[in-house]
Amino acid sequence: MFMKKMNLLIGFFLILGVCTVLFFEKPGSARARLISTHDRIIQGQVISEYGPVENARVRVAGTETFVLTDRQGNFKLSTKSLTGNKFWITAGKEGWFNNAQVAPPSGRMNDIFLYPIFFNDQPDYRFISPVTCSRCHVKLTRYWDQSKMAHTTSNPKVLDIYYGRDAFQNKNVAPGYRLDNPDKEGNCVACHAPSVAAAGSWTKDLETALWSARTEWDGISCDFCHKVRNVISDKTRPSGKRPVLERQTATKGSSIMVFGPYDDVVVPPMGASYSSIYDKGRFCSSCHGHFEPLEKGKTWNHSKVYSDSEWKGFGLKDNTILPVQTTYQEWKHWQDQLSAKDPNKGKKCQDCHMSWRKEMLPYDNHVVDGGARNMWGTYRSPKNIRPHHFDGGTKTQLKTALSMELEGKTNGNKLNINVYITNTNGGHWVPTGETMRSVMLVINAVNSNGKSLKMLKGEQLPGWAGKGKVDAGNYAGLPGAVFAKVLQDDNGNLNVPFWRATSIATDTRIRPKTTVTLSYEFALKDPEDEPTVEAKLIYRPVMRPLAKSKKWSVDDILITSNVW
Amino acid sequence: MKRYLNVICSMVFILFLYLPGLAMAGKITGTVKVNGLRSPVDILVYLVKAPPVQEDLSKTKFIMDQQNLTFNPHILPIPVGASVDFPNNDKVDHNIFSLSRTKKFNLGSYKPGDSKAVLFDKPGIVELRCDVHAEMAAYIMVLKNPYFSVTDDQGRFEIPDSKHLEQNGIKGIKNLPAGNYVLKIWHEKLKTQKQMVTIPENGDVSVEITATRGTPGVLYK
Repeated sequence: MFMKKMNLLIGFFLILGVCTVLFFEKPGSARARLISTHDRIIQGQVISEYGPVENARVRVAGTETFVLTDRQGNFKLSTKSLTGNKFWITAGKEGWFNNAQVAPPSGRMNDIFLYPIFFNDQPDYRFISPVTCSRCHVKLTRYWDQSKMAHTTSNPKVLDIYYGRDAFQNKNVAPGYRLDNPDKEGNCVACHAPSVAAAGSWTKDLETALWSARTEWDGISCDFCHKVRNVISDKTRPSGKRPVLERQTATKGSSIMVFGPYDDVVVPPMGASYSSIYDKGRFCSSCHGHFEPLEKGKTWNHSKVYSDSEWKGFGLKDNTILPVQTTYQEWKHWQDQLSAKDPNKGKKCQDCHMSWRKEMLPYDNHVVDGGARNMWGTYRSPKNIRPHHFDGGTKTQLKTALSMELEGKTNGNKLNINVYITNTNGGHWVPTGETMRSVMLVINAVNSNGKSLKMLKGEQLPGWAGKGKVDAGNYAGLPGAVFAKVLQDDNGNLNVPFWRATSIATDTRIRPKTTVTLSYEFALKDPEDEPTVEAKLIYRPVMRPLAKSKKWSVDDILITSNVW
Repeated sequence: MKRYLNVICSMVFILFLYLPGLAMAGKITGTVKVNGLRSPVDILVYLVKAPPVQEDLSKTKFIMDQQNLTFNPHILPIPVGASVDFPNNDKVDHNIFSLSRTKKFNLGSYKPGDSKAVLFDKPGIVELRCDVHAEMAAYIMVLKNPYFSVTDDQGRFEIPDSKHLEQNGIKGIKNLPAGNYVLKIWHEKLKTQKQMVTIPENGDVSVEITATRGTPGVLYK
């Protein structure tokens, strides 16, 4: 009887105990983990042969958030998961190859072992052909090959300017770098054929570079950019910046050593290493700038062309250097001025020139592509993928970059027109880069009978906007304005090539997010008449006189037009 | 005296009978035919001047959606004082902004699932752009009166477009009183076209507008 009562009591307390344990069980602990889709905690350590690795970036492969390891190399990740899911947990750090471990459904995972990169740059390294890359990165390579980036050496305009030829291969057609400097090879290859330049001297003849065995592709190839581990200042270079290359086959078997923005790429063909430079505007600075020192003892006066702040932004201390191209500096100067709260703060080159385009949709097509899809591809959010199309100076890009608005008023015998041109979305001045580019505003004011009105006040387009028939794109003398950087030589010739230039005459290019207001006044014979004003904003890739002498056929791009 | 009073009373009565009839005069319906465009869709048709109406804009919910790197709709007419929601229903972040003089704003970069709103308080054209996706473009047309419509894929329109207005939270926009009106169209690839329209005392009027490819003009000159 007593035993029976005892058994009942023990049974009762047992049930109570189990209930209590179940009641206070927290989600995320071992029991809950097995039966729910709650947050799962994964713990582990990142180590190397030198001990724990501090500040390694650890994440579930393909996800957007990561954690940093502590001084003991420990990390604690929480992730949403279904019961029994297997994860790849990846770790990456600058200077180390990425690596990964499987997080088993239960229990502690094995340590992630990182291998260091021993810096041993080999200048005689031969860059891998993009054809190799295309086997897995099918779409990325295809879009890159269609970009200007892939054909910087064989670009016919570059060669024509370099050798002083025209479109029909006639010789001695000025301007030509080699015509003016027959015994100098110049530094064009530093950016136009960087894989050849990197193999030794970066003063080389362009065609020699083009036919060199070291040119696996004629431009800036996949393997070149992904061998860059940093970009540093180097005043001897035309851009003032230099990529720091690390050319070697990886210590890990025979895989190709590459640097990139991902710390979670762990696939056998690549010895991938994370580098933060890929997500910074500074990466582009090694080529998107061009500074030419003037002849010894010569200076030029910049204060008429640039404000003090702009001049400081170029990073130039004295007037002995001519800023021929300043795309990177223009962007940096704009970014540095913005307050931390500004929605544009942090926008970088990659955001616009390596962003998604509609023809690339659906996103899933691109997320894991080609041969990689069935082997090692990591599914990642489209937000973290940068399509390599490098668009710039195209119609869609220009339409987003500039916008125009018209405002008008008739006042007795006068018609007043205000034109507002805004650099809506260019992170640099527009147009930027090569100084042969220009943007033109062309205004046509007519009365109700279609007869042109006489301009009383306002700017006119300069002679180099083209003399001749208006229909053929010759706008010299018409009401309007031009936005360009105009290089000048000692004799006062305008739009000279950079090697002849000794000063900058004007720089009217439109600064980021600023509006230029232009006012015009036209004579109106009949105050009761209803006049119409049409304004066109046109991008011209090559200025008329240069295109004419080189016999290049270059089409203008109509950015936008507006009628009042 | 009583006789006069009777006459006045009956006249007032007759006037009262007529009043709703006057208010119910008519609609403008019609089609836009275009040369040089694939489809006559997304053309704004609006009245430059219209009799004043009292509209309640407190419950409006105009939406400019973002999906698959596209703004939807491409053109969104709204009356002055209405606000527009900009939800991000895409898989990537977007950053909507406008540097148009009608309304300047920058919503900053925001994630899929988030939404932001902007109030438009001045009539004019607002060109929407996305900071990171060059192809994305849409127009918000802020109009002085609620008498507007956007053509469907057949080029058809109806003014007032009560169905569209009610969907977006504006009720009680009645037909137009009889009279002469100036009808205008706007599309980013079409020449601005003007047409005079007369609404008769009783019933609707149907118009046909032919538009050609060209440069658009300002909404109100």
